[in-house]
Amino acid sequence: MAVEFKKIEGDSVQYFALVIVLAVVTALGFYAYVLDHQLGGLNGLSNRVPWGIVNAGIPYFIGLSAGSLIVSALAGVFNIKKYKVFSRIAAYMAAAWIIAAILSIALDIGKFYHFMNAVRYFNPTSIFSWNAFLYSSYFVICSVYLLVQFEEMERATRFMAGLAVFWAVLVHSGTGAIYSFVYSRELYHSALTPPMFIVCAITSGLGLLLANLYFTFRFTKRELDPKLIRGLALIFAGLMMVLGYFLAVEGLEKGYIPALHEAVQFVFLTPTSGVFWSFWLLVIFGIAIPVIIVLNPKTGYDLRWISLAGIMHAALVFAERFYLIVPGQVFPEEYLPGYKIESLHTLEGYIVTYTPTIIEWLQIIGLIAMVYLVYVIGVKVFALIPERAVEEVVEE
Amino acid sequence: MMSRRKFLLLTGAAAAGAFLTPQISAKTQFIESPEEVEAKRRWAMAVDVEKCTECMRELIAKTGNPEVKPPCVVACDKENNVPEFEDKRIDPQWMRIAKLELDKPEVNPKEFYIPLLCNHCENPPCVQVCLTKASFKRPDGIVEIDMHRCIGCRYCMIACPYGARSFNFRNPREGLKEVNPNVQMRTEGVVEKCTFCVHRIDEAVAKGEEPIPACVEACHKYGKGALVFGNIKDPNSEISKILRENIVVQLRANLGTDPHVFYTKLGGE
Ligand code: SF4
Ligand code: SF4
Ligand code: SF4
Repeated sequence: MAVEFKKIEGDSVQYFALVIVLAVVTALGFYAYVLDHQLGGLNGLSNRVPWGIVNAGIPYFIGLSAGSLIVSALAGVFNIKKYKVFSRIAAYMAAAWIIAAILSIALDIGKFYHFMNAVRYFNPTSIFSWNAFLYSSYFVICSVYLLVQFEEMERATRFMAGLAVFWAVLVHSGTGAIYSFVYSRELYHSALTPPMFIVCAITSGLGLLLANLYFTFRFTKRELDPKLIRGLALIFAGLMMVLGYFLAVEGLEKGYIPALHEAVQFVFLTPTSGVFWSFWLLVIFGIAIPVIIVLNPKTGYDLRWISLAGIMHAALVFAERFYLIVPGQVFPEEYLPGYKIESLHTLEGYIVTYTPTIIEWLQIIGLIAMVYLVYVIGVKVFALIPERAVEEVVEE
Repeated sequence: MMSRRKFLLLTGAAAAGAFLTPQISAKTQFIESPEEVEAKRRWAMAVDVEKCTECMRELIAKTGNPEVKPPCVVACDKENNVPEFEDKRIDPQWMRIAKLELDKPEVNPKEFYIPLLCNHCENPPCVQVCLTKASFKRPDGIVEIDMHRCIGCRYCMIACPYGARSFNFRNPREGLKEVNPNVQMRTEGVVEKCTFCVHRIDEAVAKGEEPIPACVEACHKYGKGALVFGNIKDPNSEISKILRENIVVQLRANLGTDPHVFYTKLGGE
């Protein structure tokens, strides 16, 4: 075998400290959930904005998962030998992120006790219902894909890689469609969302993977060839530009419609709303700066800079999810077109702000910590990372 | 191989954990077959906007409270155990009154008032998106929520074009002074909305009487008679006549949802 995968030792003090920190943050996240649901009133949600950042966690985590898997399976499908070194860790992360996504659904819904109804009953016209099936099958596919890799079953690996990519695209397009097929809210409706989700998944998954690789190899003192990373970083930068392009087209199209002028003005040009910041922070710190970092020859070959770009982008894709989910709820619709409406007994017709509370953030951060906990334990228990990762892979 | 065994164990445990939460679910039963019901009955409501506007103007002038609840809303709250919470952001409201004004007030500054409630759409987006079929449409057109099945995902609230749904952020009991035992009490964490007073309808139909929802009754008793409820499959019903003889407006009809709350006399004709 050309690439040797090996477990890490994981007996240093730092390792155990990391495990404990991650475990504590994870526990805090779940504790925040318990508080949120037992005491009530601790989140920023309302009857006008019933979907907030815990809901945004669903597409965010699925995106990271799908992105990670697509990258991993690239090596398998196209038989690119040099990227094989990352295939296990990426598949493992994909499985971990999908668990976070499913847990995000569990934390978001009002009746946890009824959670299994989502799987038990199927509504063919509900996109979310299809996704409940897709997510669980996706987890199984990720797991089998990883398993055949552990067993070093070459042909099965290639087959599973193909299936995994196909499923990841399906799962994530489906997730995009949950939001974009909502026709009751003008700001939600866009056929560009599912393809944008795929691009965004790959960029955020790739960004995080790059950072992951850098830190893992550094802490385990294994060899990581910058040339290998460079190739991935270029794909990363290119796709971020594609994402920027999608966002621009979508925004301009909405802005062209006179009926939406007020809403568009509110979303893109009103700095007093969180919606405005979610969009512009994404564009500046999530796309423009990371692209510059990768393309600038001074920083683009430095693994530390690339990791920074990766983390910045992956973090701000969360803002993208906020920008996708929140504006359509915050900005009111006219029930009788042409007439301004103001409800006397509810907040219908008013702009109802949504500011996520610390309790909601903790749930998201807790889930992220959980994924990394699963990761750091995983690299110790399973042979996930290669001994060394260099550009030229010796053929047998 | 060690890693494989551990791996299989982990995956197996995850799968087992996922499938182990049994619970019950309610079913709705009809004496007639769904086809029979569908052929015979389709419930709908007609609203006389002119009367509501007059009613609200009077009430606001009398009480000095621009957010006063008219008799229809009060009756609905009481009948259906709709709780009352201070915080408007989370207060569930089945029926509510909205003030409308043309987007170009310089052309016509006239304000008018309309009651808002679930439209019991013919093609309800809420039912379309509900992942558990907890939201469902009966053959007689009433859209209901099975609170034993609802997982509280709030997808339906996002999908409803009319803001008709409320989420129970808190246990509704905490916001109630008294409970009407004839109407099912909802719990925290599920979605609720107007049912067209389905309990009254079923009771009336069983007895062979004309059903009358609480809001319609209250408005009638108050002397306004702005709301008319009935079966539009019956050409001789009062509502059928009203819909035939007036210019009627459905909210956001362009979406194809086909709402079954019809507004008449918007221009005071
Ligand atoms: S429905 Fe009747 S009680 Fe309610 S606002 Fe209209 S006129 Fe008044
Ligand atoms: S008004 Fe809203 S809740 Fe009522 S049936 Fe139509 S979509 Fe569903
Ligand atoms: S909140 Fe309940 S009724 Fe609404 S879509 Fe979800 S499961 Fe269905």
